[in-house]
Amino acid sequence: MPAPRLRSRSLRRVFRKVPGGRVSLQYKKQRPKTAKCGSCGSSLKGVPRAFTFRMRSMAKTKKRPERPYGGVLCSKCMRQSIIDKARQ
Amino acid sequence: MIEIGRLCVKTAGRDAGKKCVIIDILDGKYALIDGETRRRKVNIIHVEPLNQKIEIKKNASHEEVAKVLDELGIKALQTKPKPKAAKPLKKRKTPEQLKAQKEEKKKLRNIFKPKKKEEKAESKEATLEEKAGLAEQKKEEQAEIKAAKPKSEKRAKKKED
Repeated sequence: MPAPRLRSRSLRRVFRKVPGGRVSLQYKKQRPKTAKCGSCGSSLKGVPRAFTFRMRSMAKTKKRPERPYGGVLCSKCMRQSIIDKARQ
Repeated sequence: MIEIGRLCVKTAGRDAGKKCVIIDILDGKYALIDGETRRRKVNIIHVEPLNQKIEIKKNASHEEVAKVLDELGIKALQTKPKPKAAKPLKKRKTPEQLKAQKEEKKKLRNIFKPKKKEEKAESKEATLEEKAGLAEQKKEEQAEIKAAKPKSEKRAKKKED
């Protein structure tokens, strides 16, 4: 049985091949997932993959691209939505 | 569709979604725009034409564009001119002030200057004497300790063990 503190699901389990040849189970800290586009689901560029405490100390301009819907939609979806609106 | 006076929407960058007018066409690939957006050169791909056209001169100034757009209910971007801060004038120091400055610098320099040879020798002798006195004291102390605890006792203990 692993140690009680390792039995919590707040840790990630990773199977690693050890230099000795056997496969061992290692416990890693979970990283936040990358930000996703609200319409197409692709990962957003310019949005850091950092913990909230680190994001809080960051400047607003460092957290998302500076355009309308920056940090919510990807640039392609944003452009398409604007074009669709203009052509109506 | 891309011609001078055509109303457009910008689709890229920080001004995306804002309306503008084409003022000039450069090389058939770029256009000069002005309006809600900044007055700038843009790629034609980054501009979406609307079905409205305004009569405007080629290379019209920002004020003219603002006037025409105001009738359509579009507010042109107004950049605030930066207030010019007066430059602080450099004043020459009077000879008296310069003298005082020099003296202060000299004082500071003397702190880090290496000591002269004579001073060093004096200080060394003093330290040596002190050391000698300390050394004598130490020897006396050690001798007392030895007298109190002779080595033979320790050896005897070890042998018993």
